[in-house]
Amino acid sequence: MIEVQALHKRFGSQVALESVDFIVPRAEIFGFVGPNGAGKTTTIRILATLAVPDSGTATVGGIPVTDDPHGVRELIGYMPDFFGVYDRLTSDEYLQFYAACHGVPHRRRRAVAHELLELVDLGERAGDQVDTLSRGMKQRLCLARALVHDPSVLLLDEPASGLDPRARIEMRELIRELRRMGKTILVSSHILPELEELCTWVGFIDRGRMVAAGPMADVRNRVLAGRRLRVELVDADDIKLFAARDQIADRPGVIEVQLVENSLEVAVEDGFADQDLLTALVHAGVAVRSFSQVTGDLSEAFMRLTGPGVERQR
Amino acid sequence: MTLSERLVALIDNPLISKDAVSRMRTWRAPVTLTIYLGLLSAFGYASFVTTTLMAPSQRTGSALIGAGVFSYLAFIQLSLVSLFAPALAAGAISGERERQTFDVLLVSRMTAGAIVFGKLVSSVAFMLLLILSALPLFAAVFLFGGIDFEQFMVTQVLTVTTAVSIGAVSLFLSAAFRRTLSSTVVSYGVAFAGMIGTLVAGLLFTLALMLRAPGGVNGTTGDAHPLLFANPFYALFVVLNDPNGTPMHLGRLIQLLFFVNGQPATAGPSLEPWQAAVLVQLVLVALSVMGAVHLVQSRRAPMPWRPPVPPEPVGAGDGGGPGEPAGMEVGS
Repeated sequence: MIEVQALHKRFGSQVALESVDFIVPRAEIFGFVGPNGAGKTTTIRILATLAVPDSGTATVGGIPVTDDPHGVRELIGYMPDFFGVYDRLTSDEYLQFYAACHGVPHRRRRAVAHELLELVDLGERAGDQVDTLSRGMKQRLCLARALVHDPSVLLLDEPASGLDPRARIEMRELIRELRRMGKTILVSSHILPELEELCTWVGFIDRGRMVAAGPMADVRNRVLAGRRLRVELVDADDIKLFAARDQIADRPGVIEVQLVENSLEVAVEDGFADQDLLTALVHAGVAVRSFSQVTGDLSEAFMRLTGPGVERQR
Repeated sequence: MTLSERLVALIDNPLISKDAVSRMRTWRAPVTLTIYLGLLSAFGYASFVTTTLMAPSQRTGSALIGAGVFSYLAFIQLSLVSLFAPALAAGAISGERERQTFDVLLVSRMTAGAIVFGKLVSSVAFMLLLILSALPLFAAVFLFGGIDFEQFMVTQVLTVTTAVSIGAVSLFLSAAFRRTLSSTVVSYGVAFAGMIGTLVAGLLFTLALMLRAPGGVNGTTGDAHPLLFANPFYALFVVLNDPNGTPMHLGRLIQLLFFVNGQPATAGPSLEPWQAAVLVQLVLVALSVMGAVHLVQSRRAPMPWRPPVPPEPVGAGDGGGPGEPAGMEVGS
C-alpha cells in the first residue's frame, strides 16, 4: 500500500534523508522507529505530499506522491507530530469543518462527525469547545479528524507523544481498532516498546538511513538471531538449575541456555514450539514456576543497530 | 459542474463559516464593532456641532450641514477601514501556520485557491459588517440633504473596495511571512503608503507638473498626477466636493505618470478619480490573490524550517524509551 524507494532529501547543507526504503502492505501496522532527528517526520511529510523528495520515489496505493498529490490526499489521513486545534469551536464543529474541507457532502457531515466522536470515545464531549479538552482527548480528536474522509491509509506521526500511560493505551487500542477496519497504518515513534506490541511490520531509521525493515518476526530474527524464553523454577538453586539446563540444552531448536539470576534464559530459533520445551521440563520432574518470553529484546537490538545515535545530542 | 453548482461550491467554503463562527464567539467582535461605531459617531457628532456653529446664520440650510457632516463621516470611515483592515487580514494565513493547522488544511481536498478565497472572504466579511453597521449613521445624515444618491453610493463603494484591497494585500503578506507580527507590521506599512504616501507624493508630483508646465503655473492644465488622481482620499474628496470634477483619459494618466507635459492624449476610456481608484484597487486585489495562491500552492513560505522545537519535557508517561528526545527533528 505504501512503497518508499531510495528517498533522498536535504535541507540546505543538512541531509535529512540519505536512503530510505520500505514497504507497508495493506492492512498492516508499520512501526516507524528512530531517534529524534532520524528523518521520520520528513519521510512522513513526503508521503503526506507536504514535502518533495530530492530523489527517489514514494507511492501510496500505487500513486506516486510527486505526480498526483491530489490523488494521494484522497487516500491518506495524516496526523502531524505537532498540531494545533482551533479555539472556539466545539469538537463536533471541528470535525464537521474538516469533513467539509475533505468534500464530504453537506448532509453527511453531521453523521460523520458523530460516528467519529463515538469511535474515539469523545461522544460525550461533542459540544465542548476544543480548547477545553485534555491533551489525550485532543490527540484522539486529531486522529478522528484524519479519518473524516474514510482514508485507507493513515500516517500517524508520534500519535502518543506527550500522553500519559492511560491515554497511550487508549491510543494503542484505537489504532488496533482501525487496523481491524482494514486501514493500513504507518505510525512513528522514538520509543520502541510503545510500538513493539502494536505493530506487525517495523522499520528502523537512523540518521536518514533505514537500518532494518520488514515484518516484525523477520526483523526480530534478523537482528536478534532467535527469541529468548525465561524459565523460573520453584525453590531454584544451582543444582536444580544445572539439572534443568542439561535437560533442555541439546534439544533441537535451542541455541543456548544461560543462567540469569536464579532463572534460565533459553535462546531459541524462531518457529520453535515453546510448549514442547515446557512439557519436556515438566516430564523430567522440574518444578516450573513461570515460563515466559523475554520481551524488550527488540529495544536492545534497536539500540545496537542505531548505535550512539540514540544518545546523540544535536 | 454546472455554473450554479460552481457558485454553491464557491460560497460553501468551510473556511468562511468556520472563521465566522470562531470570530463572532469572542468578545473581540462586539468590542471592535462598538469601538468602530463609537469612533464614527463621536466624530460625526463633533463635525455636526462644528458645522452648525460655523454656519453663518441659523437659517443656513440643512443641506449645507448635511453635506459637511457626510463628508467628515466618509473620510473618518475610510481612515478607520484602512486602520482595521490590516489587523483583520494580516493573520489569516500566518495564523494558521502559527497554530500548526496549516499542514492539515493543505493535505485536505481544499485547493490553494479555495483556501485563499475563503480566507479573503472571511476577513473582508467582518469589514463589510462594520461598513454595513455604519450605514444607518450615514442614512441619518443623508436625510439632511446636500448629498445626492450617487455620491452616497460612490462613497460606500469606494470604502468597500478600499477594505477589500487592503485586506487582499494583507492576506498576501500573511502568506508571504511566517509570523503574524511581521505580516501585520508590513501590512500597516503598505496600507499607510497606499493611502497617505500616494496622497503626499501625488500632491508633490502634481505641484511639480504645474511648475514644469510650458507657461508656468498660469499655463498649467491643472491635471492631477495619477498617484493623486487614483488615491482613495482624493477620489472621495472629488466625489463629495466636485471641485472641477474633471475625468481624465487613461492615455493622459499614463502620460502624466511619466511626467509628459505635452498635448493631452485622449486614448482609452475617460475615468473619474473614483473610477481610477477602484480600478487600481481591483488590480491590486487580483495581483494579491494570485500571489497568495501561488505562495500557498508552492508552500514557499518556509514550511520545513520551523523554529527549533525545544525538546519535550520528559514526563511521567513519556519515560522508559531508549530514545528519549535527544534534540530537534531535522527538517520537520
